[in-house]
Amino acid sequence: MYRDTESSQPALALRGLTKRYDDGTLAVENFDLEVPAGAFFGLLGPNGAGKTTVISAVCNLIRVTAGEVLVFGEPITSLQARSWIGLAEQDINLDRFLSVRETLIYHGGYFGMGREEAEQRAEQMIDAFNLRSKRDVVAPKLSGGQRRRLLLARALMHRPRLVILDEPTAGVDYELRQELWLYIRQLHAEGTTILLTTHYLEEAEELCEEIALIRDGKLLARDSADGLREHYGATNLADVYVKAMAEV
Amino acid sequence: MKIDRVRCLPERRSGCAPPRGQITGAQGMRWLAQRETLRVSKLWTQTVLAPVISALLFILVFGLSLGDRVRNVGTVEYDQFIVPGLIAMAMVQAAFANNASTIFQARSERYINDILSSPMHPWQMTIGFVVGGVFRGLLIGGSLLAAALLLTGVPFENPAALALTTVLCLVLFAAFGTVVGIYAESWDNTTFIGNIVILPLAFVGGTFYSVALLPSPWEELSHFNPIFYMVQAMRFGLLGESDVSIWLSLGVTAALAIPAYLWAQWLFSSGHKLKA
Ligand SMILES: Nc1ncnc2c1ncn2[C@@H]1O[C@H](COP(=O)(O)OP(=O)(O)O)[C@@H](O)[C@H]1O
Ligand SMILES: [Mg+2]
Repeated sequence: MYRDTESSQPALALRGLTKRYDDGTLAVENFDLEVPAGAFFGLLGPNGAGKTTVISAVCNLIRVTAGEVLVFGEPITSLQARSWIGLAEQDINLDRFLSVRETLIYHGGYFGMGREEAEQRAEQMIDAFNLRSKRDVVAPKLSGGQRRRLLLARALMHRPRLVILDEPTAGVDYELRQELWLYIRQLHAEGTTILLTTHYLEEAEELCEEIALIRDGKLLARDSADGLREHYGATNLADVYVKAMAEV
Repeated sequence: MKIDRVRCLPERRSGCAPPRGQITGAQGMRWLAQRETLRVSKLWTQTVLAPVISALLFILVFGLSLGDRVRNVGTVEYDQFIVPGLIAMAMVQAAFANNASTIFQARSERYINDILSSPMHPWQMTIGFVVGGVFRGLLIGGSLLAAALLLTGVPFENPAALALTTVLCLVLFAAFGTVVGIYAESWDNTTFIGNIVILPLAFVGGTFYSVALLPSPWEELSHFNPIFYMVQAMRFGLLGESDVSIWLSLGVTAALAIPAYLWAQWLFSSGHKLKA
């Protein structure tokens, strides 16, 4: 069985990424980052640090000002690279006209699946994410937790190699957070590369093997959780965070 | 904690290896087109039934009841005379409104990101969306034509001209709706263009009268109204006669459809207004 951990290419490589929004905000400046294949990688930073901007650049959702984005060695302008990414955005953005089942099938279709394959996979995802009783219900009629699960299921629908989760547990209750963590862990155990952004320190500490600290659109540090603790002479990630943020 | 709610993810067929071969985006484009037609079908009372009923009311009220008291226009009975214009109006307004609202809603609720991030070329996204407006226009046009045949017995004089006109008009207005849906900052923006620009132009486009009967300068001014040419082309296709040559009508419609389509295409390929 092929696993991305054996891949020689990093799952994601950002080189000199810069984004200035039309209103003049310089959200990300000269940002370099490499996420190894198979990693569970955390992008940690306060609100407004530029995490969503970085992710949007990877997913073709903003016009980048400068820099290069490679996914498993392919530029994101290539369709192949885009087909390898699965994104669950920070804010829930489900198509209001589609039922749970249609949401999954159509997403699979946009990402190149044929009908039969998409239908089969959608049924599997519906069971895996405990949405069987809501299969034919449209997104606006789901509960908050069901929408979150559907958002994650949609991101995984086309079997992406790189799964990007933008603050997947922001504003989510304790129980659902534990539930989402279990899904994400399973996914990583299967060999999928995960890039997760969060402003919750305990989430990064709990889940991520490697962490990049970002603030004001700049990379402050990047290491394993242990490496970061050592580097900053800190006992926990909260300490690391306080020290790193104080440096700038 | 209810961990039992969390089920196992379906086993991957082959680890994380890419599941499919070469991605061309063709599959995605078909699914997007299908999504757009599904939306039209799910909302059929609003998207098809309502415009068909309102156009039929015009045919019944103006054509069949007034028709007896209004003189023929040229050699054509009045109840037949108004049919082509009413069909053209209903179709182009629907194609415009469809695309303006589907795109605006997808943008404002940000589910358009699912399409923008997908492995599709920008030209495939343009086609996928335009298909929705064309589909809705065809459903309306087809229903009205069938009803008009029963009610007034309009002849099909030039089916080829009729088909070509219909496609050009629908592509023009679906593309223009796409453009407006992309630029719009609010729902009001989309309805404004529909109600303040398209509807009045459609009403003075020679649907209810032959512009040749208008006094100067209204007759001349009518020739600057793009919808006038679409009404004329439809009338030529259905009734075999119109105020201007069919070639001029088709030419003007095409001359508008092409830039409108390219404008929509440019918005998708540049990401202007779609991507921050
Ligand atoms: N569409 C936009 N237009 C202008 N500025 C933006 C836009 N999106 C984000 N920003 C700004 O860019 C900076 C980074 O934002 P963001 O990437 O959303 O941060 P994070 O996800 O880390 O909270 C912030 O200052 C934010 O206000
Ligand atoms: Mg964010």
